[in-house]
Amino acid sequence: MAANRKIQSAAVRFGPLLKAFLLCLLLGGSGIGFVWQKQQIHQLGLQIKQLETTLAGHRAANRQRADTLAYQRSPRALDARVRELNLGLMPPRPENILRLSEPSSAAVTQRAEPPSPPSGGALARK
Amino acid sequence: MGLALLLALALGALGWRLVDLQVIRHEELSALARSNTRRVLVREPRRGEIRDIRGNLLATTLPVFTVCCDPTLLGDRHTEMARVLAPLLKTNETFLIGKLKPRVVRQADNGEPVFDKHVVLKHKVRVEEWARIQSALTNQSFGFASAKPTRAERTQLLNLRHKAIFTEDDQLRVYPSQALAAHVLGYVGAGDDGEMIGVEGIERLFNSKLNGVRGWLATEKDRRGRELVSLRHQDVEPRDGLNVVLTIDAGLQHIVESELIEAMKKHTPVSVSATVVRPRTGEIMAMATLPNFDPNQPGAFPADSRRNRVVMDQHEPGSTFKIVVVSGALNDRTVSLADRFDCEHGRFIYAGRALSDHESYGMLSVESIITKSSNIGAAKVGIKMGEPSLYKYIHDFGFGQRTGIQIPGEISGTVHPLSRWNKLSISRIPMGHEMDATPLQMVMAMSAIANQGRLMRPAIVSRLEDAEGRVASEFRPETIRQVISAEAARQMVTALKTVVSPEGTAVKAKLDLYTVAGKTGTAQKAGHGGYLPGKYFSSFIGFFPADKPELCISVVFDEPKVGGYYGGQTAAPVFKNIAERAANYLNIPPERHVSAIVPAGKLHAKISGGSAVR
Repeated sequence: MAANRKIQSAAVRFGPLLKAFLLCLLLGGSGIGFVWQKQQIHQLGLQIKQLETTLAGHRAANRQRADTLAYQRSPRALDARVRELNLGLMPPRPENILRLSEPSSAAVTQRAEPPSPPSGGALARK
Repeated sequence: MGLALLLALALGALGWRLVDLQVIRHEELSALARSNTRRVLVREPRRGEIRDIRGNLLATTLPVFTVCCDPTLLGDRHTEMARVLAPLLKTNETFLIGKLKPRVVRQADNGEPVFDKHVVLKHKVRVEEWARIQSALTNQSFGFASAKPTRAERTQLLNLRHKAIFTEDDQLRVYPSQALAAHVLGYVGAGDDGEMIGVEGIERLFNSKLNGVRGWLATEKDRRGRELVSLRHQDVEPRDGLNVVLTIDAGLQHIVESELIEAMKKHTPVSVSATVVRPRTGEIMAMATLPNFDPNQPGAFPADSRRNRVVMDQHEPGSTFKIVVVSGALNDRTVSLADRFDCEHGRFIYAGRALSDHESYGMLSVESIITKSSNIGAAKVGIKMGEPSLYKYIHDFGFGQRTGIQIPGEISGTVHPLSRWNKLSISRIPMGHEMDATPLQMVMAMSAIANQGRLMRPAIVSRLEDAEGRVASEFRPETIRQVISAEAARQMVTALKTVVSPEGTAVKAKLDLYTVAGKTGTAQKAGHGGYLPGKYFSSFIGFFPADKPELCISVVFDEPKVGGYYGGQTAAPVFKNIAERAANYLNIPPERHVSAIVPAGKLHAKISGGSAVR
């Protein structure tokens, strides 16, 4: 009887309750986690798509600018611009170019050697 | 009991429906469901660029849009939509209203009548134009003036602003330098499935390399048409086309074209062409023909303007061809430069027909035959050489066969086989008659003499590379054959130098700072029934510096009408202008000191804080 008194059947059994709660939490958490993860994947997918669209836009703009640059650098456009600004620019004529001839290797070697002492130096040492 | 039976029947019907949907029609319905969400999108590669040898862009591809409409989403507002779009798309409003009205079409697969939901309004709309269209549509009220629109009105407004007009990706070929080197570049057209196809020039010959390889994207879309990136099944990137790098130098090409424009104004010919070649390698540095065209809108120009006459036209070369017979004779040692021939005082009867010179000459050395361009002298050299030998050199210099340049449509010219030569041929061919050559064949033959007798294959493409600049394929200089010995070529150069002397036919081609070697040519134009009176091809082909050639330049006029018709009068000055500007542009060291052309004491150079006077 003493043993029966110890067992209080009417009392709340926390063990199974806790287990049930944890199981529900696990199941609920898994469900919520699954939905959250799906939502994240979806959101990230949308972001990827948006970034891809932006990248494509930048590439398109880049090509557009490369085309504009190529047009502005084309000889015909440069000629037209020079005429429009009336700067009097023209390619240098041969007489405007100062050409420096490269010295021969013998001349360079000769210039690099230290100057020989004057003939009077030896006399002075004497 | 009755109710139970009814319920059982209802349950049975539902059960049957379930079996029908899930089992019997499973394949059909699952395919329909997949088709509602799955999409396979083709990813177009970008067509490669064409650049000059210095990397300047000559042809590129820009992303553009095809603007389309779903008329079923417009309701009764197609007039308002046409009013908004017409100025932005630069089209007629009435024409646009007709396109925007709903139209019934039959489906291709089963022939069922459906409303057309894909009407193309305009192709090749630039990105910034589409941005303007989007902005204009977003700000339009389309006649919905009420402050509190109904739900149906809101939906229709949303459709009108954002859904009814949509775009598809497209590409536009752009040539930033417009007509520059148009005949070399060619142009593109649209293929059967809308892809770009090269129609002429480099665009055509390298079409497969420029095109690249398509990719694709297998994915799914949600109810609102947004892509579900996480459900992408396949994502294969397209492989962009290779870039073609030409041997053409855009700066030099511009010099040549601007000089040809001036020549066109001065002599009003039917056409004028010029080619600049680097003799050592056979690289074409400039190739131009007038009249030309803008490859951005090739259809706006007549077919004649789109023809690259340097490789597609052939005519009798005239006296420039004397270089072949004299080179051959020098190489065979049949003659030497000092050998003298009687030029019969301008009239030589051979095989019963008279051959004449433009002036009366007596005894002339072989060198003087070139200097004076004596037809009789050249004929006599040819006769001494013999038919088989002359024919061999004609063939060896590349006449009667394609040069192999990387430009489509090249013709081979006309050289009759020995068996078809008549008695007169040996006296006519040495002066460039009875055979046809292209301007390119002529300039390559002259380049062979400049290049110590080695005939090079003309090259216009330097390499193919990918977008990152990695070389995929390179075209190296190719020697076709040694036509004449270096010694014979040197002797020929000696003779050709005299052509620009005061005694020669092309004194106007003489350069102040460089020694020029070259040859003039004037040939009567042939037509139906013989030569056309008063119509000539006049040309000059020369190279400089004569003893260490950097450039070989050919200038050919077709029917010059004003200012003379001899090559020395028309083509030689153009050669001189191109050569002077080209030498300056390419910084070719002068052979003579600048003081040769500028009086002493007039040369000033400013150098860091001081000045120098030479």
